[in-house]
Amino acid sequence: MELKTTAIDNVNISKLKNKTKLERRRLLVKRFLFNKSVLIGTIILLFLTLFALFAPLITPHSPLAMENANRLQPPSSEHWFGTDNFGRDLFSRVANGAQVSLTVGLSVAVITAIVGLIIGLYASYYSLLDHILMRVCDALMAFPDILLAVAIMAVLGPQPVNVVIAVTLAKIPVVARVVRSSSLVVKEQTYIEALKSQGASSWRIIWKHILPNILSPLIVQVTYIFAIAIILEASLSFLGAGIPAPNPSWGNILLDGKIVIFNASWMTIFPGMFIVFAVLGLNLFGDGLRDLLDPHSNKSIK
Amino acid sequence: MGNQYLLEVNELKTVFSSESGPVTAVDGVTFNVKHGEVLGLVGESGCGKSVTAESIMRLLNEKHTKYDGEINFNGRNLLSLTNEEMLGIRGNKISMIFQDAMTSLNPVYTIGDQIAETIMIHQKMKKKEAYNKAIDMLKLTGIPSPEKRIHEYPHEISGGMRQRVMIAMALSCKPSLLIADEPTTALDVTIQAQILDVINELKEELNMGVIMITHDLGVVAEVCTRVVVMYLGQVIEEADVDTLFSSPLHPYTKGLLKSIPKIDGDRNKKLHTINGVVPSLNNIPNGCRFAPRCTYATEECLNEAPLLQVIKDNQKVRCWNYRQLLKEEVQNNATTII
Repeated sequence: MELKTTAIDNVNISKLKNKTKLERRRLLVKRFLFNKSVLIGTIILLFLTLFALFAPLITPHSPLAMENANRLQPPSSEHWFGTDNFGRDLFSRVANGAQVSLTVGLSVAVITAIVGLIIGLYASYYSLLDHILMRVCDALMAFPDILLAVAIMAVLGPQPVNVVIAVTLAKIPVVARVVRSSSLVVKEQTYIEALKSQGASSWRIIWKHILPNILSPLIVQVTYIFAIAIILEASLSFLGAGIPAPNPSWGNILLDGKIVIFNASWMTIFPGMFIVFAVLGLNLFGDGLRDLLDPHSNKSIK
Repeated sequence: MGNQYLLEVNELKTVFSSESGPVTAVDGVTFNVKHGEVLGLVGESGCGKSVTAESIMRLLNEKHTKYDGEINFNGRNLLSLTNEEMLGIRGNKISMIFQDAMTSLNPVYTIGDQIAETIMIHQKMKKKEAYNKAIDMLKLTGIPSPEKRIHEYPHEISGGMRQRVMIAMALSCKPSLLIADEPTTALDVTIQAQILDVINELKEELNMGVIMITHDLGVVAEVCTRVVVMYLGQVIEEADVDTLFSSPLHPYTKGLLKSIPKIDGDRNKKLHTINGVVPSLNNIPNGCRFAPRCTYATEECLNEAPLLQVIKDNQKVRCWNYRQLLKEEVQNNATTII
């Protein structure tokens, strides 16, 4: 018997759809504004991003130009953050360092998210693959991050790209673990079995149905990875294994300032402050996001 | 002769490998389903009803599962098909409705998206057509103003509604066989009646066969035309629904029927129970599997397993002492008439 296809008033439907969409968006904005940590985190991150983008443009000094006469000058109207032991303008160096740190952090976050997602999803779905991939992850996680990153840098050589590779390799297992454990839970849900009974292929189940259900823990984890990547990059540069001199990064400015910490404390204070701000901002943002995205911790704001 | 059946399950055996050795969850189950017929599959928890259904759909993890026997669907043995071929059958030719409507829908998509997805995979339709089809299906299952509903998420609708959505999804490709695994257990009685009506109506309209898995004999009486009673992985009795309720021939079936609480029953009278519990599958009795709990059990029952025997037109039973039960039934019926 043939079912009759009724013509539906399409205009009416799209109107309705828009209305519910607007309603949902309004609720989301409201919840965002009510969540103090995500709000503060966003403000800090926004400020840092604007700083990294525009600060190098407003300062007349090049981050690499040395003025021997002006070495280790305290902050002044000419040099806002003072100068370092080669007479280079510290404001300009910190601003350029912000670009480096944020770029490294963001690249690491994005790459670990993608690779960790693929590994975690497939590991959760195929048990043989699970055993192999998780043992590899165990092995990688057995090393302290900084040691593993230093070793990789030693092999690959000091290049900004290699810093990204080193930190990414150290952090992929963490993301893969989080993705795997969340998707193991989702995989056992009845709706996944129901989907199988409707003839959905594994590809479709993994990417279309498991993925959206684990996005929130992934996003939260990735903001933390972003923060950790900034710290790791700074640590590597501080140890001399990261961004190579003379290019500035928050880590190697700290390294330069280490010897003169009692004579020119501004060399330690300014980059250190920025590292703290960046990490604090990201962590607040991540915490807030976790509360926003987790349906169980929602305070009912209507 | 063989073609009149939509589905023939022939000596189906499903064996799981477990740490303590192989476990036979379904042991030589045989039954048939015709077009337009509702077959009830009843039994206690753990008797292999759901495993039988999942075997037909081949939903079990095949790494740990071994099948034996035949499942002929439209003349093709489902057990010999490849995984890719099964993908084309699941949801398209055979559909399944699950017990737990609350968790059978993906929370991150609207219900329209989810129904349309199945339609798009199997019928190669465009998105817009699929949506219109989804609206039609929802209307068919009796959901009011479906054009509004399809934009809602599963958490926004009630349990009965969700079960209707599941039915709409299962029927969206007009399957010829529907497997309903306890479709009404989680719902209250009024919704239950509505859902059963919906299934019954759609069965007529689409001329499909239905396997209704349930432990609720009220549901069986309401919708089924024929009933298969299972116990510990075996079919112990098969009969059309009237015969089963009027003259059950297996002591287990009889016990089940007696255990139903009567609405006009005596409040102080204890309900009939079947003593003992279903034995574990690791520890199957030697003779008749029901013998340890059976009030009719004899020496023979404990030592030798009975076979499924055809008694009269359309009634089969697996019991040594069915003649005694038959006699009792005749006497009972005689006394009630007097």
